[in-house]
Amino acid sequence: MAQETTNFKQDILFHEFNATETDYNQRGYHLEVALEVNQVRKFAQKAYDQGFFLVFVTGFHVLPEETEEGTTSGLNGVYQFARFDRLYRIKGQVSVPEDMSLPSICDIYQGADWHERETRDLYGINFEGHPNLKPLLLSDEDTDFHPLLKEEKKLKSLEKVSWPPEALESVDADTDAKASSTDSIDS
Amino acid sequence: MLESDFQKKNRFFLNMGPQHPSTHGVLLIVLEMSGEYVLDPQPVLGFIHRMHEKMAESRPCQSFMPNTARMDYVCALPYNHGYVSLVERKAGIEVPRRAEYIRVITSELNRVASHLLWLGAYLLDLGAFTPILYGFDDREHILDILEDITGSRLTYCYYRFGGVNQDIDDKFVDSTRAFIKRLRKRFVIYEKLVTKNIIFIKRTENIGIVSPDMALRYGMTGPNLRGSGIAYDVRKNEPYSIYPEFDFEVPVGEQGDCLDRYMVRVREMEQSLRIIEQALDRLPEGPVRAKVPKNIKLSPGDCNFAVEAARGELSYYLVGDGTGVPYRLKVRVPSYSNLSCLPELGRGILLPDLVSILGSFDLVIPEMDR
Amino acid sequence: METISILPPELIRMLIAVIIIISFLFLNAIMMGYLERKIAAHVQRRPGPMEVGFHGILQLIVDGVKLLGKELLIPFKVDRTLFRVAPLLSFTPVILPLLVIPFSEKLQARDLNLGLIFIVSMGSVNVMALLVAGWGSNNKYAMFGAMRAVAQSIAFEIPILLSMLAVVLMCNTFSLKEIVGAQEKIWFVFLQPLAFLIYVIAGVAETNRAPFDLPEAESELTAGFHTEYSGMGFSLFFIGEYTNMFIVASVAAVLFLGGWHGPHLPYGEYLGIVWFFLKVYFLLFLMIMIRWTYPRVRFDQLLNFAWKYLVPFSFVNILITAVLVKL
Repeated sequence: MAQETTNFKQDILFHEFNATETDYNQRGYHLEVALEVNQVRKFAQKAYDQGFFLVFVTGFHVLPEETEEGTTSGLNGVYQFARFDRLYRIKGQVSVPEDMSLPSICDIYQGADWHERETRDLYGINFEGHPNLKPLLLSDEDTDFHPLLKEEKKLKSLEKVSWPPEALESVDADTDAKASSTDSIDS
Repeated sequence: MLESDFQKKNRFFLNMGPQHPSTHGVLLIVLEMSGEYVLDPQPVLGFIHRMHEKMAESRPCQSFMPNTARMDYVCALPYNHGYVSLVERKAGIEVPRRAEYIRVITSELNRVASHLLWLGAYLLDLGAFTPILYGFDDREHILDILEDITGSRLTYCYYRFGGVNQDIDDKFVDSTRAFIKRLRKRFVIYEKLVTKNIIFIKRTENIGIVSPDMALRYGMTGPNLRGSGIAYDVRKNEPYSIYPEFDFEVPVGEQGDCLDRYMVRVREMEQSLRIIEQALDRLPEGPVRAKVPKNIKLSPGDCNFAVEAARGELSYYLVGDGTGVPYRLKVRVPSYSNLSCLPELGRGILLPDLVSILGSFDLVIPEMDR
Repeated sequence: METISILPPELIRMLIAVIIIISFLFLNAIMMGYLERKIAAHVQRRPGPMEVGFHGILQLIVDGVKLLGKELLIPFKVDRTLFRVAPLLSFTPVILPLLVIPFSEKLQARDLNLGLIFIVSMGSVNVMALLVAGWGSNNKYAMFGAMRAVAQSIAFEIPILLSMLAVVLMCNTFSLKEIVGAQEKIWFVFLQPLAFLIYVIAGVAETNRAPFDLPEAESELTAGFHTEYSGMGFSLFFIGEYTNMFIVASVAAVLFLGGWHGPHLPYGEYLGIVWFFLKVYFLLFLMIMIRWTYPRVRFDQLLNFAWKYLVPFSFVNILITAVLVKL
């Protein structure tokens, strides 16, 4: 199985994206792709063309950041795909811009329809191009209530909830990651 | 045929659920109909939404264990399994081999129990009353066996980080072996009563055909996907726990109709029994629980763990922030993606076929609503 | 008839018969209810009702009292007249066919010379009741049930009639007594096996029993035409269904199984009723067994089966019978 996976990786690298291979045993997925908002649909299309299925779409909420383009909303969209025939799991992560909208991928993956509606319920991310962005899990009265948005004081910056960069390079870096985790508790 | 003027004018809406015998829980499906033809079924979810994901963000990761059993109450142990394995992967905890064996045995027993309940409930949807009582009879034995070691009958909280709560005894091994022997005999009865029944075949064959491409677009997993001929089983494709050590097959169907989904589940029960037998034969001695720190710290960064629940791929996605409380926990439940194809699959079919399709999907509503 | 009387003897005879029959209907419903639950339980490997009386034998009486005590709910915005009339309409016509059925040689309320036609016409009224119940309930599920009931009834009345005609052709009469009389030597089930088969299948469908219980298919239509009924309204439908089953089974016994004929008994002209009831309850037992074994067929499959198989086969059967009788 392992050998098959390595051969396979050479065939389908997501070249045009900012992709990093990750340690599967530590993270449970093989490839992490950092996406720009305008790349989301391209990424989904590429995944579809290569026979991936959609595992889920969701988000998470971190402290907004100042960047050159302006302030981010602090929300991140997370897309996970996997394959039926091989063990290969990829994760795409995108920072949601301040207008709180992401392009919808539910015309590429129809299954994303409900996942996007759910994410809108829980985070208030507006998926542009979604045909039917009604509340799914929450009721119609709660359209403006997004339970998974965290309170200001509980928010942490993206670095504090991401793997430290050195953890990407080797498995040995795991111990460092644990060490740094203890620091972050105190802060 | 469906586009005649008469039918265009005579459309009406039928609310199937939230209280309806064949939605198996509080699921509402708004059907746009023309006569007995369903033109557009739209499921409405969220009647028992409990926001488990928010609960996970507000308590230490140990305290979330009982919640995992309350999502899919029919097959709760794989949910436990996925969650403990996720935290073990994140915190780098080694699990003793005996504990992994016990986990596999109990998870597979639970899977058989779930499939037995489904078998009865599906036949009830099709109008046959008797199989559900046969299924309950056999399932009762499993629940008794599991009750003896886990202490609960439905919403188990048996696994712990680094092992299981308590060791199994000889009585468990004996009664499990006796049960396997009994169930093999009962399969013969099921086959005579259900599988060879001409009305049953007429009600399921060529109904609700899910093509492989459709399964991919909607992210269907589990027996519903395998019915379409794709041998995707997390136990095989993404080996976790000690599943690679066992010899079992992944049954697949041919064309993805309700009958194939039925056959896949029936054959899967036999495979689960095989796994349990092998695990009982090779059960190693040793501790069942590793030493783990009392307050487990989840290091920063995300982590994913997928297991095969009775209904398909269950995937936990965790974002840690260095404390013992998960910063974000996403639970990807199989029924949610499985059902999402209903608006496409249920277009232009008869109402009884819709009931047949819904039943063959093996839905558990609390799992979808979370 | 050598009855001593002051009033016209026929009238007294009919009055007594009606009283006996109505009381028998309730008894039959209770017995059938108990039988159904017990047989179902044993098919499903469980004991069934065990608490009230010996092996739960009084269970149905207790249930009946409970149903009597229940409020007859009338939902919002229903057609009140139709909603109330429907259970009565379902219950009343099923009494009348029993007046012409010969239970034994002498036990028959009235031997109409068109008895068979009378039974068939009374049986058709029942479907009106289902239609009225479904229409009056202001419920889409009930409406579905009613529509299915009508389509099903129309489809299955034809094979029933045609299979009956085959028997009529053989003995040249519509009188049930004479038909039974003609079977003294050999029962018609041996001469007309196809007609018997068609009659039994169509009969199960006509009484809306599983696997043909589409008007009340509870997994699709919650409870079909009686979704909105409670208490006595519901139980009248329930009694009507069991009586209908009884009539279908007794007509089968009369037409095909030789009615009261059987090994000789003392006072045979009265005690023939024993053989008659044995045959009827054997058929009812079969119907119950079928119900608890098979899944429900789909609606279009059922109608296809009626129009594509039962109707042509019964025509062929009549043709063959006619030719053979003429020879």
